[in-house]
Amino acid sequence: MKITIKNCFIVTLLYCLLANSIVMAQTPSIEASSSPTVVVDKDIQQLKDKIANKVSEIRKQNNKAISGFVLKIDGNSMKLSNTEEVNQVKFDDALTKVFKVLGTTKKEIKTNDISKDDYAIVSGVIADKVITANVVLIDENFLVDSGKITEINKEDFNIKVLTNDKNTYSLDIETGTKQHMVNIKTLLSEVVGFSKLKEGDTVHFVVKKTGTEKDNNYSAVKILIIPQEYFIK
Amino acid sequence: MKKETLIAVFLGLLFGGIVAVFISLKSKEIELSTNKVIAPPKENVSVPNLTGIKMESLELSEPANNAIFEKNTIHFKGTAAKDSLIIIQSPIKDLVVKNIQGKFDLEFPLALGENSIKMVVYPKEKQFRPQEKFIKIYYIDSEL
Repeated sequence: MKITIKNCFIVTLLYCLLANSIVMAQTPSIEASSSPTVVVDKDIQQLKDKIANKVSEIRKQNNKAISGFVLKIDGNSMKLSNTEEVNQVKFDDALTKVFKVLGTTKKEIKTNDISKDDYAIVSGVIADKVITANVVLIDENFLVDSGKITEINKEDFNIKVLTNDKNTYSLDIETGTKQHMVNIKTLLSEVVGFSKLKEGDTVHFVVKKTGTEKDNNYSAVKILIIPQEYFIK
Repeated sequence: MKKETLIAVFLGLLFGGIVAVFISLKSKEIELSTNKVIAPPKENVSVPNLTGIKMESLELSEPANNAIFEKNTIHFKGTAAKDSLIIIQSPIKDLVVKNIQGKFDLEFPLALGENSIKMVVYPKEKQFRPQEKFIKIYYIDSEL
């Protein structure tokens, strides 16, 4: 008796599953017969989207950005040099766009407006060490570093900074230099004057690099001081 | 040379030597007493026992060096020592935060073009050296 009930249950379950699968299998055929073009259009659109995504993915993978000072420029190419390497950049008349960055805004210029010693940032596809430029941005080159103040010249408003990698920088603190100090209690950054700087303080700085500096002497764009008291509290 | 002369020269040299030794000892004493001690007094110096303390190194999972972004804000994600002071500096932003938890996720703005960014972590145990990372990342507007 028990076995019969069990068999009945299995048969009922199989029947339900079979009936359900028949209904599910029939649904698309009804749609397909009623509007075949809609389905085909959908498939084409999906395929198009997939291809577009793949193309964009591949483009992103091959897209690289490089930067450096312009060593040489002619009609459709230029050479960029930075501390690590020299790169060849090719312009594409139909593709390459050139902009000059002016603070927070940009202005479109032409490739023949680029001159030697300009600092250029190039984004494009790289192949055989040649980058075909999609975008060229002419901007300023900044150096960001940090170290300990080893010397303060109060007459010339100059500080000497020794970095962790044993480089010594001579920084001129100009009237336009933004000077901030970390408050050791609140850890907020506060505006300070040159007189607050002490030998032994840690300084984080940003300077503009033109490529013509001598003896690591720069005009500081901004400095952020961590007073030595932070390290002995 | 007479015997008296020799004795006088010998006594003169001996006396001179004694005076010279006395003066040099005295000057050393004076020098020591006038020198200022620039190190904090011994009782104020607390030397924490750092043996066995393992400092968590700075791991930056995002962003990658030389990465290109189409948005003007990114997130610095990674791990660093607990309670360390994190400073992230770029030409447009200085970020100072205390890393209360080991993990950090910090929003940071980008300028159009190249962004040279230096990240320094100052551990709570001041005897440890700060850890640094320097990266260059690019913000190229997708509309360009």
